[in-house]
Amino acid sequence: MIEWANFLVVVIAALVGGCGEVTLFALGLRFAGPETDGRLRGLGVVFFVICGLLVALGVCLVIPALGPFFATI
Amino acid sequence: MVALVIALALFFDFTNGFHDTANAMATPIATGALRPHVAVFIAAVLNLVGAFISTTVANTISGGLINEGPGGVLITPTLIFAGLLGAVLWNLVTWILGLPSSSSHALFGGLIGAAIVGSGFNAINLSVLLSKILIPAVLAPFVAGLVSFLATRIAYAVTHKRQREGFRIGQVFTSSLVSLAHGTNDAQKTMGVITLALIAGNLQPANTQPQFWVIAVCAIAIAAGTYTGGWRIIKTLGRGITDIEPPQGFAAEAATTATILASTHLGFALSTTQVASGSVIGTGIGRKGASVRWRTAGRIALGWVITIPSAAVVGALAALLAAVGWWGIVIDAVVAVTVFLGIFLLSRRSKVSARDLTLAPSQFVRPKPRGKIKQAGVAKP
Repeated sequence: MIEWANFLVVVIAALVGGCGEVTLFALGLRFAGPETDGRLRGLGVVFFVICGLLVALGVCLVIPALGPFFATI
Repeated sequence: MVALVIALALFFDFTNGFHDTANAMATPIATGALRPHVAVFIAAVLNLVGAFISTTVANTISGGLINEGPGGVLITPTLIFAGLLGAVLWNLVTWILGLPSSSSHALFGGLIGAAIVGSGFNAINLSVLLSKILIPAVLAPFVAGLVSFLATRIAYAVTHKRQREGFRIGQVFTSSLVSLAHGTNDAQKTMGVITLALIAGNLQPANTQPQFWVIAVCAIAIAAGTYTGGWRIIKTLGRGITDIEPPQGFAAEAATTATILASTHLGFALSTTQVASGSVIGTGIGRKGASVRWRTAGRIALGWVITIPSAAVVGALAALLAAVGWWGIVIDAVVAVTVFLGIFLLSRRSKVSARDLTLAPSQFVRPKPRGKIKQAGVAKP
């Protein structure tokens, strides 16, 4: 039968991953996008970089060969 | 017979490509983040690359759905041929109707029908059908829809109106990731089918990996299919369910990516098509003032419900004919080619192309400042 515990983990991981990615990119736009305070631009760039790392993690998950490399990080 | 199976499997791979382009590229095209032809080109390249980088190929043709091997169904090239016919026909029918539906479910449906004709209902593993197909099919759109709904709310809450155009850039990355994941998953299916046909035909030793030429032709077939666009399904997913703005497109793609990757790596595989459709519906509910066309969503859901039975009926009929001898297989092939041509000719009568998806200039483009409009309006002598 269906493994509900695994399903719950999938829901939580998808929520954290999907919402996290959008939150980070939105914060990047908020601080480094148009009509922003120039002093906070650096913070916005940091959010974009973290968002980029999250996408890189996705690439590592998609490409099996990068799995061991990812495990060492 | 094996050559016929390989040709049909590659055609299935091609239909899988153009059927599933929408999963990754419907929202970036809808928001204008990517031009239609650029979007399908990126998707095609990433599908091609994805097909080469993954080494995981299913050991069983149906993933345990059909009781294969000793004591179960003997997988023959004829059975695979009949199953593929059901899958390809259903993919083409849903394409002409513009319905996003799972190619994997169509393949499973075709094989189920063919297996039932060969060995009766005992051939089907009902618990696997329930736990791997039916329950995930119900859960997938809800999970993706929930993630997409919350992500959309976050995107609008955090950013100002004039900052939201920036989400288009993010969409390029998330949609590319979905394309890459699709290439690594779906091309393997056809590689597995061809390899099993070669093994069944005694042209390859059992328990061996796909040969390089199999990997190469499957990669090319899925990439070619992806590049042809599948504009009808892109139109349904990108424009038919709800009107998508850049923050919604990014939220939907992020939800699709996160759900697919989480489910694949935690052993709970969900259909990409159902996840992508759920994400689009979720983002439609998530934006204040947006509306979801539930009639279209209902048509899509109905398509999902009847995918397996419909493909199974075609697979069963094809298997019945094929069982009577070589002339039955010839009739199968002739009828199939005639139906495929008929669907193709029907599609020419109500053509949907990339032009139908190009964003109207007025949409999502900020109005020019008044002074510039006046300047632009002055006629040159």
